[in-house]
Amino acid sequence: MSAYFIRRLLLLAPMLLVISFFIYLAIELTPGDIVSYMISPELIADFSPEELAAMRQALGLDEPFLIRYLHWLGGVLQGDFGYSLASGVPISDIVLDRLPATLELSAVALFFSTLFGCVLGTFSALKRGSATDNALTVFGMLGVSIPEFIFGLAALVLFALELGWLPVGGRLMPGYETLGDRLPHLVLPGLVLSLTMTAGVMRYSRSSMLDAMNREFIKTARSKGLPEWRVNFLHGFRVALTPVIVLIGFRLPLLIGGTVIVEQVFQWPGVGEQFVVAVRAQNYPLIMMIAFLSVTAVLLASFLIDLLTALLDPRVQLD
Amino acid sequence: MKRPLLNRSGTNWRSPAILHRINLFPLVEKPMKAFQVLALASLLLLNVSTLWAASPNSNQLSDVRVRQAIAYAIDMDTIVETLFEGMAIAADSSIPNGSFKAPGLPRYTYDPDKARQLLKEANWDSSRVLDVVYYYGDQTTADLMAAIQAYLADVGIQMTFRKLEGDVGAQLRTLPSDPVNGPAAITWDLGYGAKAALALQEYYNNYETGKNANTPGSPELDRLVSAINSTADVEKQRQAFFAIERYEMENLFVLPLYYQQMFIYESKRLNRNGGLYGNAQYNYDWNIVDWTVTPDANGKQVLRTNTGPVEFFEHAWFNPGLYIYTKVLFDRLITADGSLAPSNPQMAKYYNLSDDGKTLTIQLMDGLTWHDGTPITAEEIKWNVEFASKVPVIHPIFKQTFSSLKGAQAFADGSASGISGITTSGNTLTFSFETLDPNVLLTFSQWAPLPRKHLGNADPLKFQQHSFWQNPVGSGPFRVKEVQMNDYLVMVPFENYHGGRAKLDEIVAYPSGDNDPNVVKNAAAQQLDYGFTKNVSDVQSLKAMDHMRVTPVDIPYTRVLWINKFPKQ
Repeated sequence: MSAYFIRRLLLLAPMLLVISFFIYLAIELTPGDIVSYMISPELIADFSPEELAAMRQALGLDEPFLIRYLHWLGGVLQGDFGYSLASGVPISDIVLDRLPATLELSAVALFFSTLFGCVLGTFSALKRGSATDNALTVFGMLGVSIPEFIFGLAALVLFALELGWLPVGGRLMPGYETLGDRLPHLVLPGLVLSLTMTAGVMRYSRSSMLDAMNREFIKTARSKGLPEWRVNFLHGFRVALTPVIVLIGFRLPLLIGGTVIVEQVFQWPGVGEQFVVAVRAQNYPLIMMIAFLSVTAVLLASFLIDLLTALLDPRVQLD
Repeated sequence: MKRPLLNRSGTNWRSPAILHRINLFPLVEKPMKAFQVLALASLLLLNVSTLWAASPNSNQLSDVRVRQAIAYAIDMDTIVETLFEGMAIAADSSIPNGSFKAPGLPRYTYDPDKARQLLKEANWDSSRVLDVVYYYGDQTTADLMAAIQAYLADVGIQMTFRKLEGDVGAQLRTLPSDPVNGPAAITWDLGYGAKAALALQEYYNNYETGKNANTPGSPELDRLVSAINSTADVEKQRQAFFAIERYEMENLFVLPLYYQQMFIYESKRLNRNGGLYGNAQYNYDWNIVDWTVTPDANGKQVLRTNTGPVEFFEHAWFNPGLYIYTKVLFDRLITADGSLAPSNPQMAKYYNLSDDGKTLTIQLMDGLTWHDGTPITAEEIKWNVEFASKVPVIHPIFKQTFSSLKGAQAFADGSASGISGITTSGNTLTFSFETLDPNVLLTFSQWAPLPRKHLGNADPLKFQQHSFWQNPVGSGPFRVKEVQMNDYLVMVPFENYHGGRAKLDEIVAYPSGDNDPNVVKNAAAQQLDYGFTKNVSDVQSLKAMDHMRVTPVDIPYTRVLWINKFPKQ
């Protein structure tokens, strides 16, 4: 098994290299650049082609695509992710500044959605056909089919504007010093993200649990006279957990950049919101950095899933 | 509904009977004869120029009758009343209503029959499908495009519309290699856009030969553009504007659609204490030093607003007043009234523009300092102008002023170490201009000097990327206390401000723009005390809030249809 993991780890590097090239190429093929973003169409007629060319040259945009990519890659290999073309701030500073906000939000959502999704899904499976199961099924269907921003807007109108219990958005306010200060700001985006993610986990764990509970080994456990809770949780749930873990594992990249929509709705200043700004501005060093982080997260999550699957299911032989 | 076809005098310049009609001009009274001869000569001159401008090339849009048909086909009054809910004004020239609006301009009031007739006369190819482009992402624009499509279809003009993406500037503005004969370097037929002018000349300066992507160069238009730029005398300027407006509306080299209003919204907590309302996109004497808001539970007067920084403070020389921070962190040498007419000194103790408009003398106030306590000197202002003249992304009005200075060219090409047209003596600056710039005072009422101490090492080509714009030091009534990029900006009164300490204790600016969906949400949550918008649907929502008030302001912001009159490739 260790040889397998070493091989997988070694494969990460060329995969990242190839993916980074294609992301860079995609940005290159997108029309426009940061200069065309910085000057509004209403004023661009007042700038001579020479002035625009000088600006592009100053920002290094006049070099051929491959040269720019190699410059960027060379910098990354030396730990230098470059500077934001818009502000001149080091990319690493921008991302490190935004990452805590996204991690905070997505970790809360991941934790609660996993907890409630597994508990409710298992409960639903064990109470199959009951009114509770039907209600949870309806909730699950709504959760997976209604877009996040609808939930977000509804929650804003109800809890922030009508009831006034929670703030309408943002993360920090002047004078905030502790997590407790900013907790009220986390509730709504965390709730909305958790709700939509819970629905998916719940549906998945319900079907997985139903599948496990129909297996022969469950009947064997029962025939041996084990208590029902032991049959359900130590035998059924453990096996049912494997596909659920795969699902949760694939949600780990959310920690980096999967909260774009919720961040937009709630003005949450995280990586996702920054990514949208960077794409609009064609701020390629920033786009590359965030995309690179997301891709790395996906690859690592995939790696982790393999590892966990092997640990949880003895039938899986990675070698 | 039926209106005279072409111009104010009612003469159809394009009719073959034109000369015959002029010959029948009633020359009955002898004393009137001289006047009539002059009138006849003027008419002939205008006629020739108009015919020249209307001479069609292979592109049918170069035919003035087609452009007029488009104007007649669109019912702007109905669009304003319905789509814009009355919160716009149908335009009858690029120049907004006011003292510079020429009297009696031809109005192309909705007349589909006239449009059809003109198209018939012009042998309009009804199989042609016009490609109409725009760059705004809002729903109102898409609705407007659909409305125009329907109106044009009604008279027999087909069109499709699309939003430009990517390098919008290049797609809209790439110039043809031959500025008179084309062919066009752009691909579209009609472009929907706007001009938010700081100076009225901006509406027309880009129509000079060689500067426009959609309008072939014309000696007559060049002469008219030159006339509006060649005098500082207000009355002469006004007459020059009247002439170019008439030419514009007779030839429709651009089709003005409507004047957009700005809406300033405020919470009822805010009291301006007599401060003026004006063009909030720029700087004017709004007397923010005297503004007050109802104190909060801690007794602090905190004004909450938007347009805080997202990733950086946008530098103050491009959009000089779009963001709250560029208004309150930086002072200008001169201040302006609500309509942006330069009115009083600000950092200056005194200023004087010579009668010929070519020498400006400014004496700085004594004891001025930047927010960090460093003194502001005349020599530093000189450095600022020299530095600004090398920064490419500055407002075109500033650029024109600085390039008009004596010695500006030598400084730009590196043959001189400074601009010879700027001299200092103690606290006094003298600006000498090589060529007259009609907007020199306007420039100095909007352009903000910056501290050399912090920007002395800046690369003009990477001015915006300088670390100064992460936490700028200014000279205005407020200074930066704390900034959390994309979260909030806190500004507090500058204790040593020459105009006295501001009464507000804090201004907190959140990162939301003037056309941001968060405006209504934040206002509803009582998180906004001040802001401005041009979005009419936001205005309706804001007006419906009991705790908000909305004040409309007329601003020079004209939405137009650009018409590509060059032959297409």
